[in-house]
Amino acid sequence: MALSADVVSELERILGAGELVLTAEGRMVYECDMHTFYKGAPDAVALPSRAEQVQAIVRLCRAARVPIVPRGSGTGLIGGAMAPQGGVMVSLNRMASILEVDLPNRCATVQPGLINLWLSNAVRERGWFFAPDPSSQMVSSIGGNVSTNAGGPHCLKYGITTNHVLGLEVVTGSGDLVRLGGKTVDHPGYDLTGIAVGSEGTFGLVTAVTVRLTHLPEAVKTVLAAFRTVVEASETVSAIIASGMIPAALEMLDEAIITAINAGTGAGYPEGAGAVLLIELDGPRAEVEAQGDRAAALCRETGALSVSVARDETERALLWKGRKEAAGAVGRLTAAYLLQDAVVPRSKLPQIMREIVAIGARYGLLIANVFHAGDGNLHPMICYDDRVPDELERAMAANEELLRACIALGGSVTGEHGNGLDKCKNLPLQYADADLNFMYRIRGVFDPDRIMNPGKLLPSHPACGEGFRPQRPVLPAGTWV
Amino acid sequence: MSVTTRALGDALASIVGPAGASDAPAARRAAAVDGREPQIVVRPRTLDEAARIVALAHDERLAVVPRGSGTALALGIPIERVDLVLDLAGLDAIVEHNPEDMTATVQAGVTAGALAARLAAHRQTLPLDPPGWSGRTLGGIAATAASGPLRARYGTMRDLLLGVRFVQADGVLTWGGARVVKSVTGYDVPKLLVGSLGTLAVLGELTLRLHPLPESEATCLVAVRSVDAAQELAALIVDSTLQPNRVELLDGAALAASGLPPAAAAVVVSFGSVAPAVRAQQAAIAAAADRMHARAETMGPGFWRTYDRMLAGTGTTRLAVSTLAARVAATLDEARAALSGAGGVVMTGCASLGLLRVAVGQGEPGLLATAIERLRAFVAADEGSVVIERGAPALRTRVDPWGAVPAPSLALMRALKQQFDPERTLNPGRFVGRI
Repeated sequence: MALSADVVSELERILGAGELVLTAEGRMVYECDMHTFYKGAPDAVALPSRAEQVQAIVRLCRAARVPIVPRGSGTGLIGGAMAPQGGVMVSLNRMASILEVDLPNRCATVQPGLINLWLSNAVRERGWFFAPDPSSQMVSSIGGNVSTNAGGPHCLKYGITTNHVLGLEVVTGSGDLVRLGGKTVDHPGYDLTGIAVGSEGTFGLVTAVTVRLTHLPEAVKTVLAAFRTVVEASETVSAIIASGMIPAALEMLDEAIITAINAGTGAGYPEGAGAVLLIELDGPRAEVEAQGDRAAALCRETGALSVSVARDETERALLWKGRKEAAGAVGRLTAAYLLQDAVVPRSKLPQIMREIVAIGARYGLLIANVFHAGDGNLHPMICYDDRVPDELERAMAANEELLRACIALGGSVTGEHGNGLDKCKNLPLQYADADLNFMYRIRGVFDPDRIMNPGKLLPSHPACGEGFRPQRPVLPAGTWV
Repeated sequence: MSVTTRALGDALASIVGPAGASDAPAARRAAAVDGREPQIVVRPRTLDEAARIVALAHDERLAVVPRGSGTALALGIPIERVDLVLDLAGLDAIVEHNPEDMTATVQAGVTAGALAARLAAHRQTLPLDPPGWSGRTLGGIAATAASGPLRARYGTMRDLLLGVRFVQADGVLTWGGARVVKSVTGYDVPKLLVGSLGTLAVLGELTLRLHPLPESEATCLVAVRSVDAAQELAALIVDSTLQPNRVELLDGAALAASGLPPAAAAVVVSFGSVAPAVRAQQAAIAAAADRMHARAETMGPGFWRTYDRMLAGTGTTRLAVSTLAARVAATLDEARAALSGAGGVVMTGCASLGLLRVAVGQGEPGLLATAIERLRAFVAADEGSVVIERGAPALRTRVDPWGAVPAPSLALMRALKQQFDPERTLNPGRFVGRI
C-alpha cells in the first residue's frame, strides 16, 4: 500500500526534517530483520526521538488505517521487524538514553533503543548488571528484548526478559500513552506489564522500560566437558540438574559444530568428541566451588573424554570461545541454514537428539546443534545449499518435522526468539482453537483496529478472526428456570 | 424462586452428582461471601465439570465465586452478587510431577502443603510461602498473586507459573503458556491470569516451575536499634554478593508477636545453599551486624514455621504496602503514625523488595479508612500502593481496598473484563474499579 500525500505530509510535520525515510534505497535497509527470508519494505520509516511523536504517529496511522511496524536494532530472527503489508515502520533506535539508574531500588529506566549491553556497562563498575543476555546483546535493543521476551545463555538461572521488567511506557494501538507497572513491585489490577512483554509490537510501541538490575555474583566457575556422544552429554545434563544445582548456563555443542570450530581457530576440543558441555555456575564463592567440583565429578562419572575447569577469567574466556564462535563457525559448514528455536522438556533431550540425527539422515541434510541444554531450548541449524535444486524445500520439510517432534514430546514452538512471521503459522501445533481465539481477543483490547504489526505472532486461522465461537461444554438437556 | 432453585439444583446435580451440589441452609451459610449467601454450592470433581457448571451459570446469568481454601475471601470490594460458589477443593489431583524437568502440573484445588509433601521426597520445592501457605490452594495463590518471605529470592507465582488451563466466563476450556520451563509461544497468558482474582477466568490446572530444595539452610536474626537501621542493614545485604532466600524486616510488635526478645526492629535473613556457602554467608551477616554494633543470632530450624503462623494469625485487618526498598523505613514510620489510634499494629515486610505487611488488631473503620488514605498519599509519589488484603466489609465499603488505578490502565483492564466476561459472571464487582 502506498501512503497518501496527506499522511506523508503529516508524518513530516510530526517528525521534522530528515526524520522520515521515504526513498526506495532508504526503505530497502528496513525490508527485513536477521531472518532474511521474509522481506517487505515499509512505505515510510519514522525515526522519532520522543514519546509524543510516537503517539502522534500512532494516532495518525490509526485514523488512516495504516499498519505500523516497530523496529529496534533489527536483530530479530523471526521476521518480526519487517513490513509485509507496507505502512509505517517506527524505528526506535534514536530513543536510546538511560533515563535513570536507581541502585538503592535496584532498577533503571531506559528508552527502548538502548543497546542491551550498554546498560550493564553503565552499572557494572558499581557491582550490577542487567541479567537478560541474548547472544545479540552487543547490538540488540532493550525495546526489542522486551518485544520478543528475549532469553539468553544465562536465563537458566536468572530467567528471561519478563522476569526483569518492572514497568513499561507504551503507546497502544489506540494511540493512548499508558504507563504500566513501575519501580515498585506490586500494582493492583491485571498484570498488563506481564502480558505486554513478548507481544512483539502487536499491542503498541514501547517508549520506556523500567528494568530490574541484578547484583554481580561473587564468583563464577566454568567447566567444559567433552563427551563421545550427544546422548551421553544429555544424560549428564540431567544428572547435574538432579543433583540439586541450577547452573547460570548449561550449553551444549554437537559434533558438527565441534568439527566446524576445530577447522577454524580451534578451541582445544579433544579429537573424537561428539559433544561438548559448557557449564557455568555463579553465586557465592563457596557455593560455586562446591557445585563446580560436583559438576566436574558428574561429568567424569558419566564418561567424559575430558573435563577442564577454568581457574581465572582468561581460562574462562577460552572455554567460552568455542561457544561464542559457534554461529560463525557454521559458515564453514554451509552457505545457508534454517534456525529452529523449539523447546523440549529437559528429560527428553536424549530422545530428541536421536530424532534430529534421524531426520537429518532422512532428508540428506547436515543438522548442527548448539543450544541451551539446561532448559531444553534447542537451536538446530538445518544446513542447505540453495544452489542445489529442492534442497531448501527439503530443509523446510526437515525443519517442520523437527518442530512437530518437539511438540509431540511436550515441548514448545519457540523458547526465546519469538513468533513473528516465521513461527506464527506453527502456533496451532501447540494451541487449540479456543486458546488461539483467547489470544486474538487479548490483542484486540490493546489494538482495536489491528494496525499494530499485522500478520505477526498470531496465525492466519479461523480462530484468529472476528465472529469465531469456540466450542462450549455440552449442558444438561431441558429447561430449568 | 424455590422452584427455580430446585430446577437449578437438579441441573447442577446432573453435572456433578447429587453429592456435589448443595443448597442446604448450612452449606449456603458456610459459603457466604461478605455476608451474602449463595443459592447453591457446587463442587466439581473434574475440570470438565467445572467448565459445564460455569457455562450453565453464565447462560442463567448467575454470579459465580470460585473458591479454594477460602483464605482470601475478605480480599476486594464487597461482592455485588453471589449466586453460585464454585468450590474447587475437589480438584485436588497432582496430575504430573516430572522431577528431571523440575516441573509439576496440579489441579487448582491442590494445597501448597500437599504439593510440598510430594516434592520433598525428590528434594524439590515450589518456593511460594504466602501467610498460611500450607493450607492454601495453588489456584487461590495464583488468583491472588499472594506471596511471602521467599519472594525475596524466587519471585511470585508470576515467575513460576508456566502454563494454565482455565475456564472462560462462558465455560470454554482454554489453555495458555507451555509445559516446559522456557517458552515465548504466543502471548504470555499465564501472566494475565495471575492476580486476576478469578474475574477473567476460573483457574483449573497449573503447570509450575520447581526449584531444588537447598541442601542446607540457616537463618540469622539481627536486632537493631531502629527501623532505619533495619533498612540500612537490608540495603547492605542487597548491595552485596550474598544470595539470601529471605530478607524480612520485623518491627518491635512483630518480634513480640513471634515470641522473640524485645528490640526496636530486626532483620531476619536466611540462606539456602551448600553447607560451606551457608556458613560463609552467615559469617558475612555477623560481620555486617558487628559493624552496626548489633549481633546476629542463629535461629532454630522451626523459625519460619513460627513466623508463618504469626503472619497468618495476626490482624483482623491486613494491608499490603508496596513502596521502594529505600523508603521502607519511612513508610513504616508513616504507617505507625497514621495508625496511632488503632490497636495491635504489627508490621513486617520483605525489605529488599520494598514490601510491607501491616496487620491491625483493632480499629474502627473510619479511623482505618483515614489511615489507609494517608498511607496511600505517602506512597503515591513512588507509584506505590496500599491494598487491604483482609478487612471487615464495612471497611472495604468505606474505602476502596485496591486504591485508585491510573485511568489509562484501568480503561485497559475494563476492556479486558468486557472482552472476556461481558455478563460479569465471575466475581462481579470485587476487583479494581469494581470490575
